[in-house]
Amino acid sequence: MSGTTMTQTAQAATQAAQGQAQGGQQLPCYFDANRTFTWHHKTQVAGVEWKNPVGTASGTFNFDAVRPFYDVSQLGAVSTKGVSPVPWEGNPVPRTAETPAGSVNSVGLQNPGVDDYLVNDLPRLKAAGATVITNVAGHSDDDYAEVVSKLADHESDMLEINVSCPNVSADGLSTGTDPVALKRLVKRLRPLTDKPMIVKLTPNVTDIRPIAEACIEGGADALSMINTFVGMRFDIRTGKPILANITGGVSGPCVHPMALAFVYKTRQAFPEIPIIGIGGISTGEDALEFLYAGANAVEVGSAALADPVAPLRIACELDALLDQRPELAQALEEGRTWQS
Amino acid sequence: MSDFKPTYLPSRRPAEVVDCRELTDGVVRLTLRDEFIAANARPAQFVNLYTTNEQRLSPRPFGVCQAEGDTFTLMFAVVGKGTEEFRHLRPGQTVDVLGPLGHGFDLTRSANYVLVGGGLGVPPLIRTAQELKGREDAGCTVLFGYRNVHFADDDASRWCDDVRSIDESEGNVVALLDRWAAENGITADRDGVLRPVAEGERPFVILTCGPLGMMKAVSAWARERGLETQASLESRMGCGFGTCVVCTVHTTRGILKTCHDGPVFNTAELEGWEAAR
Repeated sequence: MSGTTMTQTAQAATQAAQGQAQGGQQLPCYFDANRTFTWHHKTQVAGVEWKNPVGTASGTFNFDAVRPFYDVSQLGAVSTKGVSPVPWEGNPVPRTAETPAGSVNSVGLQNPGVDDYLVNDLPRLKAAGATVITNVAGHSDDDYAEVVSKLADHESDMLEINVSCPNVSADGLSTGTDPVALKRLVKRLRPLTDKPMIVKLTPNVTDIRPIAEACIEGGADALSMINTFVGMRFDIRTGKPILANITGGVSGPCVHPMALAFVYKTRQAFPEIPIIGIGGISTGEDALEFLYAGANAVEVGSAALADPVAPLRIACELDALLDQRPELAQALEEGRTWQS
Repeated sequence: MSDFKPTYLPSRRPAEVVDCRELTDGVVRLTLRDEFIAANARPAQFVNLYTTNEQRLSPRPFGVCQAEGDTFTLMFAVVGKGTEEFRHLRPGQTVDVLGPLGHGFDLTRSANYVLVGGGLGVPPLIRTAQELKGREDAGCTVLFGYRNVHFADDDASRWCDDVRSIDESEGNVVALLDRWAAENGITADRDGVLRPVAEGERPFVILTCGPLGMMKAVSAWARERGLETQASLESRMGCGFGTCVVCTVHTTRGILKTCHDGPVFNTAELEGWEAAR
């Protein structure tokens, strides 16, 4: 939807805020997005400065949906919904199923395509002051190359190549699980753009290290991990899968320990490559664990679906935790990590 | 930098339970205190409730049923573990809420609104009747269909003088619509062509919420009589505020999100909707 129409609720909020200004009471929210933010601990990811180490994970951030709730420029970065060369319709519904401490989703990267993104979302995100990571989706190497080329002269701060979505037809996932194919792809994309290029990795592999190595050798500037685990749920009344796509991607707090292990293993093998840790972060403490595992920054995913301001709340919580950990904070600020 | 300081919507927050009671077997009416929702929830807007169990993180969306003072009411059936938890809420406890969310019914026109509800689709229509009460330029008729117990008639009657209901032993809401049409001289001869409105006369507009099959039947019935229908759709949602893109619906305006672009859609824009299973 275009952002030109203000929602009924946003209009109501404006009126209510005017009421508050006249002495009405502030509602007891868990997090007050209307206060002023001061960030004490920035980080560096592949030479790009984030004002704090917390970004949003691709697919769990939509500018029009969250801008009534908070100022997106206060986040370290925002990673957009995957952008493909042409509009994608995505998968049939149902697209989500609940699972303990998480969910299984199969959206199929529904998006309006790169041309629409370049005239709508990207300029508005930049105008709002956000540090923008454009997430790039494709069904083939040609698809990725087309999107990266089109983005090259626009104002994204970073690109995140999504070779790991479990919900689009074969190619997306197979590229991310095959070091040879992955290195070939990253190598092909590398000369197409000067922008820092993050490759987002799937956990659906036996060993993450050869995959990470292929990205690094292909010329990736950073890695983000993890994308979702392939999973499914059944409706026990019908005996059929709940998701129309049969399988989906599992995310949420249930994947947090596995995500930490992926980051830690990769960091042990590759001391230098910048890593963005993703997976089941609901609190500043969860994010801090990723920093101890060796991440330079984190992205918040599912938690942003249970509360629109969660990424900003987590950024505040992490800022306070880093106050008490000057050594870690110093490392991040200098582009290093706890493990390097 | 400009001095402009935007004001942001209240995000997720705890709401105090004022009342929680079972209206009939497995149907609960829950009253919560939240000034912002009470003051701002338009008809067919909804709120998310969240369980306290960290195993169950998905939102449970419910259409707002009534809003008075600083409290609002929801009405729901116990259908799973989340609603089972909410059934046991007691006054003084809190439950997390977010909202109001979505776009509600368009009531801007001077019209005679006919509110056609079924089962647990009736709460947003009660909020609609509440909104229409006292509107001198609008009329309101409520037609509800139940499986057996007429659990919402009392609440609807607080706001509307013309509440009629039916249960499965007597027939369905289409039977009520037929009776209402006969009283108003409306016949099935227009097949999608909107009924012309004479000067000084108010058009009839159908607002419906209920089981999908019922809404499709109501929409087809109205189309054959040249009446506009707005339907408030239900969907499995992942966030409820437009981020996750799991509750999509195909429309003449493209693939839209039930939570953010709806839940109310004019059924003329729902492509192939009446025919599809």
